[in-house]
Amino acid sequence: MTRILTIASTVWMEIIRKKDVYVLLILLGTLLMALVSLNVFGLGGTVKYVKDLGLLMALIFSWILGVNISSRELPSEEAQGTVFPLLAKPITRAELICGKWLGTWSIASAATLLFYILITGVVQFKGGTFNLAALLQAFILHSLTLGIICIIAIAFSTRMNQDASAAMAYVVTGTAFFVVPRIPELMAQATGFSANVLFLLYNLLPHFEVFDMRKRLVHDFGPASWKMVLIVACYGVLISLVFFLAAWLAYRNKRFSRGNLM
Amino acid sequence: MDPAIEVKDLSVVFSSGNKEFTALDGLNLSIPCGQVFGFLGPNGAGKTTTMHVLLGFISATRGEARIFGTDVRESIARRRIGYLSEHPDTYRFLTGRELLTMAGRLFLIGRRQLASRIDEILPLVGIGEAANRKIATYSRGMMQRICLAQALINDPDLVILDEPTGGLDPIGRMDIRKIIADLKARGKTVFFSSHELSEVELVCDHLAILSKGRLVAQGPASKIIPPGESLEKYFMKVVNNP
Repeated sequence: MTRILTIASTVWMEIIRKKDVYVLLILLGTLLMALVSLNVFGLGGTVKYVKDLGLLMALIFSWILGVNISSRELPSEEAQGTVFPLLAKPITRAELICGKWLGTWSIASAATLLFYILITGVVQFKGGTFNLAALLQAFILHSLTLGIICIIAIAFSTRMNQDASAAMAYVVTGTAFFVVPRIPELMAQATGFSANVLFLLYNLLPHFEVFDMRKRLVHDFGPASWKMVLIVACYGVLISLVFFLAAWLAYRNKRFSRGNLM
Repeated sequence: MDPAIEVKDLSVVFSSGNKEFTALDGLNLSIPCGQVFGFLGPNGAGKTTTMHVLLGFISATRGEARIFGTDVRESIARRRIGYLSEHPDTYRFLTGRELLTMAGRLFLIGRRQLASRIDEILPLVGIGEAANRKIATYSRGMMQRICLAQALINDPDLVILDEPTGGLDPIGRMDIRKIIADLKARGKTVFFSSHELSEVELVCDHLAILSKGRLVAQGPASKIIPPGESLEKYFMKVVNNP
């Protein structure tokens, strides 16, 4: 575990020292501006809109952050040649993947926590409140979604360069976000080959919709049962483990390029 | 006592599409503990490939390799190794001290022991004053030195150095020679490749010369080089007429 934590802490230092934290500040600023500017359209009094927009933007920003930082970690180790002295130490490739995932997931989750704090502040400023238990559940499930997103991006990056792995991660997670919840409707009209493709997609891709508690928060439905949250969390862990396995299988015997390192 | 490095009938074949390239062809080596072993050969001879097999970066197509009796495919085999790569580079966003702390933690060295080891090793590689500066501000020579420091952080019994003097000025080369002599005096095994034959002549007990993936000469430096011949002349002879 010490080795995994060491790798994860190095990821944290990289993000902070390479000024990636500025991207986060820009995202936070954008979020704040968007929420405050709702007044411009005469919707400022409607807390629901603030909540809805704020939570949607938190989801999108954390998604972007998760994919971007996760897809670059392993390719940059290889491109700079730092993977050689790293793997010359008694660390397994599985530990390296776990460390990279832990680092990127914890950063994306910490950023999400900042987004939630900001949204809560703006909502309170506008006279509204969040049910705290529901907000906590939403954050836990959001964080689990990020865990899946980060390991998907890392899994692609084991065999692709940074740009390609980020693109693939966006396609897969984007499909999971926006297409998978609509598949049952589409399947009702599809036949033959297209029905089979839809069926395959529905069963292969993660179901991010089960982690999404935004409607519950926006409409003040209160918290879900903790038993349900636990079941969904187990599903998230299971999906993450599947992608961990895929990442490890792709990376365990990978032969690294040693040209053009200088 | 197990040899520091034992390689038996090691072959590595790289394939790309229908084409195959034999990087190593039936290599046999047995390096006892405490030796300074020079591993020579022209570019593309298979030196770095051998090192990469020893470090578990790539798998052999045939044969086996052991470090202190442990199969190189097991991560535990790397506990007693220090490695400096051919193109040393590292996390430039860290300071020299932070890099060594990170490297030490990967070897599970305790905090106190690690702090004293870092204080011991930084002056040894000549990075004392720059240790708290970001590595991004280091010169190429300093980068080489800090990478060497992280290779020595675990006080390894076997040090694998791939072109350790490349990019260093004469003072830096002398420092590396001193470090190798110090390691030898402490009973450590040093396995290193270099194109600087004069350096090799100065520090090595034993030599092996590789050409096109095959071992063409091996033995104590004093015995394999004919009297009155320089290593350079001998090297050219065996590489051109294996």
